[in-house]
Parts: sequence; structure tokens; C-alpha cells
Amino acid sequence: MSSERTHTRQLLSRRETLCRAANGFGGIALLSMLAGESQAATPGPHHAAKAKSVIFLFMDGGPSQMDTFDPKPRLTEENGKPLPFRPPTTVFNISDKVYGSPFTFKQHGQSGAWVSDLFPHVAECVDDMTIIRSMVANHSEHTAANYFIHSGSGFQGRPSMGAWINYGLGSASENLPGFVVLESGLIPPGGMDCFSSGFLPASYQGTLFRKGEHPIADLTPPEGKSAGQRDKLEFIGKLNRGVLDRFGKVSEIEATISNYELAYRMQAAVPDLLDFSSESAATRKLYGLDDPLTEEFGRECLIARRLVERGVRFIECLSPARKGIDRWDQHSNIEKGHRINAKSTDKPIAGLLKDLKSRGLLDDTLVIWGGEFGRTPNAQFPDGGYVSVVGRDHNPFGFTMWMAGGGVKRGCVHGATDEYGYFAVENKVHMHDLHATMLHLLGIDHKRLTYYYGGRNMRLTDVHGNVVTEILA
Amino acid sequence: MVGDMVARLWPSVVLVAALHGPLVLAAEGDELFERKIRPILVERCYSCHSAKVAAPMGGLRLDVPLQNEHSRKRLLLAISYTDPQLRMPPTGKLAQETIDDIRRWIEMGAPDPRANAVGPASAEAGSDNASVARARDYWAFQPVRKPVPPPGAAANPIDRFLDARIGEKKLKVSAPADRRSWLRRVSLDLTGLPPARADLDAYLADVSENADENAVERLLASPHYGERWARHWMDLVRFAETNGHEFDNNKLDAWQYRDYLIRAFNADLPYDQLVREHIAGDLLPNPRLASNGAFLESPIASGAFWFGEVLNSAVDSVKTRADTVDNQLDVAGKAFLGLTVACARCHDHKFDPIPTRDYYSMAGILHSTYLRETVVDSPSRVREIEQAMAKVAARNRDWTPAASGKAELRAGDELFEDFGSGSFVGSWQTAGQAFGQGPVRGYANSAGPGANQLVGSLTSRKFRMPKLWVHVRLAGTKPSAAIKESQSIRVTVVADDHKSAHLVPSGKPGFEWVSARMTKEIGRECYFEIVDRARDGHIVVDKIVISDEKEPPADPSAIASPVRLAEDGVPIPESVWAMTSQDENPHDIRLHIRGSHTNLGDEVPRGFFLEVITGAGQPLVKQGSGRLELADWFARGSNPLTARVMVNRVWKHHFGAGLVRTPDNFGKTGQRPSHPELLDWLAASFVESGWSVKQLHRWMVLSAAYRRSSKADPEAEAADPTNALLARYPVRRLEAEVIRDSMLAVAGTLAPRLFGPSVMPHISRYQDGRGKPKSGPLDGDGRRSIYVQVRRNFLTPMFLAFDYPLPVSTIGARGSSTVPSQALLMLNNEFVLQQAGAWADRASSREPDPARRLERMYVEAFARPPEDWERREALAYADRASWTDLAHALLNSAEFLYVQ
Repeated sequence: MSSERTHTRQLLSRRETLCRAANGFGGIALLSMLAGESQAATPGPHHAAKAKSVIFLFMDGGPSQMDTFDPKPRLTEENGKPLPFRPPTTVFNISDKVYGSPFTFKQHGQSGAWVSDLFPHVAECVDDMTIIRSMVANHSEHTAANYFIHSGSGFQGRPSMGAWINYGLGSASENLPGFVVLESGLIPPGGMDCFSSGFLPASYQGTLFRKGEHPIADLTPPEGKSAGQRDKLEFIGKLNRGVLDRFGKVSEIEATISNYELAYRMQAAVPDLLDFSSESAATRKLYGLDDPLTEEFGRECLIARRLVERGVRFIECLSPARKGIDRWDQHSNIEKGHRINAKSTDKPIAGLLKDLKSRGLLDDTLVIWGGEFGRTPNAQFPDGGYVSVVGRDHNPFGFTMWMAGGGVKRGCVHGATDEYGYFAVENKVHMHDLHATMLHLLGIDHKRLTYYYGGRNMRLTDVHGNVVTEILA
Repeated sequence: MVGDMVARLWPSVVLVAALHGPLVLAAEGDELFERKIRPILVERCYSCHSAKVAAPMGGLRLDVPLQNEHSRKRLLLAISYTDPQLRMPPTGKLAQETIDDIRRWIEMGAPDPRANAVGPASAEAGSDNASVARARDYWAFQPVRKPVPPPGAAANPIDRFLDARIGEKKLKVSAPADRRSWLRRVSLDLTGLPPARADLDAYLADVSENADENAVERLLASPHYGERWARHWMDLVRFAETNGHEFDNNKLDAWQYRDYLIRAFNADLPYDQLVREHIAGDLLPNPRLASNGAFLESPIASGAFWFGEVLNSAVDSVKTRADTVDNQLDVAGKAFLGLTVACARCHDHKFDPIPTRDYYSMAGILHSTYLRETVVDSPSRVREIEQAMAKVAARNRDWTPAASGKAELRAGDELFEDFGSGSFVGSWQTAGQAFGQGPVRGYANSAGPGANQLVGSLTSRKFRMPKLWVHVRLAGTKPSAAIKESQSIRVTVVADDHKSAHLVPSGKPGFEWVSARMTKEIGRECYFEIVDRARDGHIVVDKIVISDEKEPPADPSAIASPVRLAEDGVPIPESVWAMTSQDENPHDIRLHIRGSHTNLGDEVPRGFFLEVITGAGQPLVKQGSGRLELADWFARGSNPLTARVMVNRVWKHHFGAGLVRTPDNFGKTGQRPSHPELLDWLAASFVESGWSVKQLHRWMVLSAAYRRSSKADPEAEAADPTNALLARYPVRRLEAEVIRDSMLAVAGTLAPRLFGPSVMPHISRYQDGRGKPKSGPLDGDGRRSIYVQVRRNFLTPMFLAFDYPLPVSTIGARGSSTVPSQALLMLNNEFVLQQAGAWADRASSREPDPARRLERMYVEAFARPPEDWERREALAYADRASWTDLAHALLNSAEFLYVQ
């Protein structure tokens, strides 16, 4: 950015900035004009949007492409034989022996997309999905890869995509945060920094909704202290109007006063969000709320839909914790681990897609499924330590993610890996491209969604990224 | 990684050297190029690899002659389609005939008539000296000159500079603030705490001419001053006490650096010395002693290079190191010079005259620098320990164990160390005195000199971990700590700066083999540390074997224990541990084309300057890593940036915004100074004062500008909406730590104790993830926020809500957002409620009369008594709710959270 533009931004009146910076919890979030490098104005949208909200189903740990959506018969044929090329360095020092998928693939829907028997319910939705079999990412280990899929950088401290989107578009929700992370006991490696606002103002950071009765920190007073809240707020309001007289009419203080009102309204909005009493028995069943195995992720998916209805921009659903297995990260016993993970999420995901569609919400809601990387076609064998039954190592060179709704093609399979499923070879979609495409669908030009920090204009896509036009509806 | 794969495959690409002289081939080569090669390049390659595209793929351009051997090999590999990760063109393999032509052309030395063509050659790397010279005209690179303050009535030169500009614009300045507001302002600024009632009373009672000076001197002399300003500095060096990444392991002794800073600011350490110690405190010929004489201060500052993120399972050691160095340069460039030097990692800086070559000349310095966990005892403390040891009974001191047996090695074993006798010099670096000068009869023995109380460590050479198993034969005391890297007795494998595996004695008598699997360490840059930090234990290491075998080798014959200890009550003085830098294997590095460690250009000699400031042809590094010379250049008074950047930082903390509003970026994308002459006057005076930071405070906070009320004149507000000319004092929200510390202060729960190991942060149920620590107390034991451990992955939510910076890079100006989550936190957070309760209880017990109690609380929180309407409203509210609710409401008042 030229310094001239910096100056122009500085000269915007405080009040103007106040209006333009609507974000976060939907209300007034005033950003300091004094912070020098961190001025902000809502920089989007740039063109008509197809999607209003994103639901990101994050499959923490890295699901295997050749066991889910990218069948590789050659692996079965050559099971146990060495790969004909030297595989790249992986996290573990693993074997070069091919491992055929233990799962069975079938074609589904009008589109005839292949899905393994891990996902019988999702398979019913393939005609609404674009399956990208040629994803490429930059990092072979979890934490950097998690930062990368979330923020476009493998390092800690960059804004997560949910933060970027809310910075770009503002929140359409009155009383709820614009970037919500739903979890059921499992935070991905890299921790809360996966959902960080990085150098963007703190208001854009992801808000973690925990399982249970009190999902958000500090939303409500501790037990027995809620009586008199209204009275206290009114008293604080009086004190603060006195402060305005004393300090002069300072817009930060005016914003602080409004925020106390908003905070009060939010206290009511969250219980309303989580009250499922208006949901029919059929809907609950659709999401698998009637089955202990699917209940947790089903709940996340149903809350996600309800958040979309309330105008929340970016919702991330984290994989549930399952006893005895480590996320989707099956170095050991991929057959058992992937089976459990798939069973826990398959029905809720399909339920979400079907429910969004039947309510007419799928058209402007973009659903994204995937992990930080895929897995290797070669086997990681029992080693007397970490691995007890055959599994697969990490593979960022070619893996599968899928999208549905929000302006992507329906019933489409895009890109391909080589015949072993190791490397993306056709129509590669780099993670930066996925980010660019997601922003495009939201009406944002990824090259123009910038924030001036550390001497240059920063982007979610850094200096990379191309919109994958082939998958746009 | 693609690049990694490529790097490994190169050696297998056999190139036939040109057999004929270049002259003979020239015509033939040109013809081959024009006829066969150029058309293919144009047709199949230029769309991604030429000036047609803004960023040629892989940094490779084929519309100019191939730069070097490296790119030629890479081209051949790519078109051969043998590497599954590097197949070019991506749209399909070239005809075999074409591939043969290109191979033949390259074998001829890639003759290229384009080399003689007129026009720009590749600008991938290297600087354009002319443009660097031109850029020297930019204000920030000009030498600092001391301007004469403009004429005016004000005594303080700062006011003369400011008044001149205000006069030009004919702005009306705001009236002076009342004395109470001023004292609250300056107390919060200098100590981060609201004025205590007694201090307020004393100030109000001081009617002398020097009342303000007296108050400022009292605040500058307060030990809390150092706590406040150390924290500002910690923002610049991305201070953290854990490594982040997957498991958020501890950075041992990081807190010593925090204490170093507090002591340095309290002692008004000359700023040039502070800079020198940060860059090369471990190398200074005359390191500074701590005031108690027991340890060296200077080396502790050099640990600041190492507060960044550390990967616990780096896949690529070379890239990891390059990333670490990049972060170090980024921080050093921004913090000390206000320049975004790191932009030049991938390309010549786009806006500032920093060529890539300058970047790599400095990067070489840091590639020659390593982290060290070490003892920083002063020479006198070393002697005291030696003297105490002389009193240890001779039977312990002089007792010699039986010699260790020889290891029976198998085919897959590699003996890393078998410890002979003599000296550690050349093989292990020693710290502290526990291990003596060398191994004795085949053992490295931390009880060798005869006392458990001695502490120390041994550090091995660096090597690439060659095999999957490490077996260490050792004996010793079982360490007690639960956290692995904090165990006081251990053998640690450090892989790419991460303390990765720990082998510890079980405490059983006699020797045992302890093994560790090098699953993630294999192939990475590693070293061993043998550590004894226990005052009540020891470790004896016999052998270190690296092996393909899971089982350790057969036990060699040896005595049951080489230790004979009878505690005989001789007290050994304690040692101080710190994380410091150290020089190791000084070497130049090659330029990374487009920042890639797999695409290397020419070697760049280590240099310690930026060409734009010093001009070309400065002397290069002569000794060691070059940090000593770099430190000297950073801290030189003639460096145009060092003093300007620092005075601007201090200004920013007193006036809300810097004279340059981008304090970490004085380059072209930063902002220009609002008052360039004032900035230079301050910088020059700062250097003249002996780089005294306290003197800067005096000048600034005793100015009339600092005293102005924050109530704006409407016309002045309209004419200068950003208040750049400072006709009024800006209203500012307090920083996260100041809000928390102020709550403790008014509630009377603040523990005024300074220094020491950090208190663990309180972890709520809303914080989760790998490496989650055991929660500390809700109130942090009443310690000031600076003592709450900075755990990268578990930063305190209350701090984050109030814009606490992530410890990733230099942050000279924190954000100051105003969001509803702050209101929720202040209304509902357990800690806030706890402090409100404590405050109300204390006020009630000290002041039974409600009206006087209220007055006391107002003075504590806002440094003023309540107005009549406030008294009425507040007493009525306390009546219908409670005093705790009232206290809570006062903490929520904007007057508590802001300073005017």
C-alpha cells in the first residue's frame, strides 16, 4: 500500500470508521486509530457473492484419500510390493511397501462419484458435492499444516480464514460472534492459534463453543450472581455517561458504552441458539442426535445450521474425540480408526447437507470438508512402539477435500492423483487456491482482501492463489 | 517437501562436461539454441517461466540465460519426468528427441546468444547499487542532526517544537489537566499502576515548584518502573516462555531474561549497552556484572534471539533453521532499526533499499549462532565455588573410580562417546563446575569433584542423527520434576533446537542402559546435553551408543558406582542458569533464491551493515559469527536509526502514538514523522545524555504537552482529527496487563514482590489443546502480570481480549480494540469478580462509614473523590445491591479502563 493510502485511511473520521468496522459480535467494534499500522476499513465485498456463510468440517489429523474418495485399484493389485519411486521424507521413517485400501469403493448418484464404504450417508449426497482429488499443501506435520490450512501460513500468529472473512465482510449476526468454532473435546495441534485473529483486531478471533451448558467463557455470571445484572448495567451506564462529560466525547468510550448493551443481548442469544426444542424429532434423527456415536458431531452440525440461519459468517466443526484413537491420524490401525471416525461423522454430515438443502440454505452456504493433509499409499508397519497395526503416514502432496453448496458445481469430481494416490498430477488445487476460491464465492477478491502489517499488505493467500474456476457452478 | 526430494535426487543426474573449448562450440551452440531450443522454450515454458508472469514459477526464468549449474540440472531433471514431484512441462512430457536436444545443449554448457542481447538480465538476486545510493536520500537514512528548537516561550524544547506547529495551524490547545489526572496519567505511564492514596496525598500536599519533578523522580525510582518498561520491551522481542507448536514445551530460564530487563530499566542501563548485550552479550570482552556480583548480566540478553516458535518435529532441518534465522532477523531489524529487513529474504526489498545480499550477509551471522542452556556465574562466584569445594573432604574429592569397561559393539552400533580421561576441550562444552575439567577413567561424572550440590552441563558437537536408537549407559539420581525438559538431571537429545528426547536415571544403584527411539529425530541436526541442575543429585554417563538395534549393547564390566559421596555439610554457592546465544562454526551462507533453501545462489560474505546506511565496501566480519561487530554497528551513535527508533518508542508510550506512527517500520511503507525536527532533537539529545532512557521520560512527561487535558477544543478537533499535533492529550485504553494489575492494586491484593520464576497462568475450562499445563491460581498469587508465564499456546484470554500481542514478531504498537467480549469479560469473569469482592471487603473493614468508604474507593480507582451525583447514585446502588457489586461496577467503568 502506498503511504498516501495509509494517510487517507487515517483521515477518515472516527465515526466513519466506527460504522465501517462493524464486525465481530455484529455490533460496534471500534478500532484504534492510533495503532499506526493497524487501521481497518471493511474491504469487501468486491463482487456479487454466491455464499453468505461457510461451514468448515475440519477432519483433524488427516483422513486418507485412497480410503475415502479417491479409489486406487493399483494399491490393491500391488499390496505389499515396494513403491516404484522413492517417496519423499515423511514424519516417520516408514516402509516403502504399498498398502491396498481395506475399504470397498462404489459409485454413487447420478454423477457416479466413487465413495468408500466409510461414508454411506455422505455418498447419498455426492450429486450436491464437488470432490477435489488433487489438493496440495505445504507441510508434512500437523501443527504447521493446521496453521497452513487455517491461515495460509505454516507459522503461528497469522489470521485464520474465519477472521479474514469477518474482516472482509463484517458479520451479519446481531448478537453472535462472526467466527464460531464448535468442539467436542478435541482441539487440533497448534491449539487456539488455529482460530486466531493474528494481526487483525482481536474482535475477529474465533470464539470457541464448548460442549455443555456454558459454551462460551464469561458469557454469563457464575452461579448465583446473575440477579441484578440489569440493574448493574444501568448503573455502569450512568457512571460511563459521567466519564464522557469528564473525558470529552471520545468515540472509544461511546463504543464501550454500547458494547455493554450488546453484551447483555448476547447473554440471551446464546441460550436461544442452543435450545433445540423447536427442532422436530425427524430433524434430530437426521443429524444422528439419537445415537451416542453420532450425537456429538450431530450436535455441532445442527448448531452450525442454526448459526447460519442467524447470519454467522464462518463456522468450524471440529472432529469429536474418540477413545483409543488419535483423531484421523492413523499411523496405526487405519482400518479401525478411520471406521470409528467415519461412523461418528458420516450421518451428521449427510444430515447437515440434506437439511441445508431442504431449507433452501445450501445455495448460499458453502460446506467444506477435509483435513490438513492426506495420507501415504505406502504402509507404516508395526514397530514395537507407536504403531501396533498397519497404518499410513502424512501426505500433503496429493489428497482429497470436498465442497458443497455456496456456488460450487454439483456432482463434480475435480483433479486427480497419480495411480498410487501419492501426488496430485492433474488440475492441482493448492491450499492457497482453495482459499482463493472460497473467498471468491463469498464475493471477495483474494488479492484485494489485504491488511497492512509489518511493512506490507498481508493476504490470506500470501502472494499465491488462483480461483479454481472449473468448479464454480 | 518437493524441494527436499529434488535436492536428494540431484547427485544422481550425471552431467557430461563439455569436452571441447567454448570457442569452438560457440557457433554450433548458438545455432542449436536458435533452431531447436528457443522455440521449445517459447512454446512450452515461457507461459510460467518468463518475464511475462509476475512471479515465475519456482523462481526460474527461461527467457534469460540459465543462471547457474544448479538451474541447468534442475531443468534436465524436470523434463526427464523421472521425479514424480518435478515433472515439466506439467501438461505433458516433451518428445524424446526434444529432451535429447536440450540435454545436448546443456552438455555443451548451455550456450545462449541471449546473453549478448541488449536489455535487462535476470534480477533474481543481487543489488542495484545505484538505486541503493539514491535511496540514501530518504529521511530515515540521513544522519541525525540536532536542530535548534524554534523560538518560543516554553522552557521545555519539546514544547517549542510542538507549539511551533500548533501555532502555524492556529489551533487552540486544551487547558492543563488537573493535578489528580496528571498524577494518574504519569503513574500509569511510568509504573503501570494507579497512584496509591498516600502518593496522591503527598503530591497534592507538595506545593513547591518542583512538585512534578519530585513525583516523576519518585516514580522513576520505583522498582515497578522497570516492570512496566520491561513489558514494553518484551513486546519487541516476542517474549515467550514456551516453544509453541504441537506440545508447547518450556523454554528453560526464559524468565531470567525478563528479570534482566527489569533490572536494566531500573538501573537506567544506557540504551546502547542494552542493544549491544542483546546482539552479543555473550561475546562482550567486559561483560557487565549483576549488582550482587554473583553472575553476569550481559549474556542473558543474548537469549532474546531464541524466544520464537520452535518446531517439535521439523521435517527439514535446513528449512527450519532458515525460518528461525528469518524470524531472528525480522525481530532484530524491526526492534532496533525499525526496518522490515526480513522482506529481503525472497527478493530485494520492494520499497526499501535493502538488497537480498544485505539480508544474507546478516543471515550468515545468525546461521553461525546457536542457543545454549548455560551457567552465567561471574568469575568471583566461580572462585567462591572453587574455594568451597576445597573444603570438601579429600576422600570424596580425590577418590577415583575403577576404570570403565570397553563397550562390546555390534554391527549396527556406532559409539558416539565412550569418555576417556583428560579434558572435555574439543569434544564437549562445559557449563558450571559439576563435571570438572574432563572425564575421569571413562566417565563424565557430575559428582566427580565430590559434591552433589555442584551443577553444570556438557554439550556435544552437532551431528545428523544417523540411526533409530540411542542407548546411554548411565547412573545417577532420579530427577523429581514431572515435566520432561524441566527435569534437573537428564541426558537430552536436542533436535533442531527442540529438546526432543530425555534419558534419565531410574535412581537404582549402579549403571543401567537407558534407550530412546529417534522416530522424529533421525536425519535431523542434533546434539546431546548432559545436564545436572540438581543441588541434591548427580549423573554419571559411561557411554553413548547410536544404533540400528532396539536393544542396548551387552553390559561392559564396570564397578557398581563410580560415585562416593558423603554429604559433609560444605555449602556450595549457587549458580545462575540462563538461555544465551553462542558462536559456533562461523560460516557464510549462500543466497537463497526467492527465499528457497533448495535454490541456492552465490555465497554471501558475512557483513554487519546495511549498504544503504554505511555505503558499499565496508569491512566484512573478521572474527567469530560477527555478532560483536553487528552489535557495535547497531549501537553506534552514528547509526541514523537506532536512537530515532528508540526515542519514538518512548514517545509512543507517553503520547499514545509515535512521532512516526509506525514504530517498527521507518521504511518507505511506514509513515513519515509528524515532527521530524523534534524526533531528531530527541534522538541527538538521547545520545548526548549517554543513552539515558530515564532522561527521555523526564523530558517528555514534564512537558506542557503531556500535561494538557484530553478535552478537545472543537475547532482543533476538526482541524486535526488524529491529534497529530497534540493540541490535546489523547484518551487511551489501558493495556491488558495494566488493567489486571490495577485491579490487584485497588483491591489491595497486589503482591509487590519482584523477580523470580514465573507463576503459572490460570487455565480455564475454555482453554484446551496439546501441552495444556496445570493451571496456576486464579489471581496469579497476586503477582503483576509480567510474572505470569507466557505460554505461547495458552495465553491468558483476558489479556488477548484486551489486545495482548501474540509473541510472533516485533510489536511496537499494540492494537486497541473495543469489542463486546471485553464487556462480557469484565462483567462475568471469575477473576474480576474475585477482585471486586476483595476490594469491597477491604474497603468495608478499613472504613465503616459508607460515604467515606465510597470516597476511599473512588480515590483508589480514579485518583479523585466522587462528585455529588456519583455519591448519591453509588450509595443508593450499594444499598440495593452490595458493596461487592458496587466495586465490580467501578471496575467496569470506562474511567477505570481508560486514562485521560
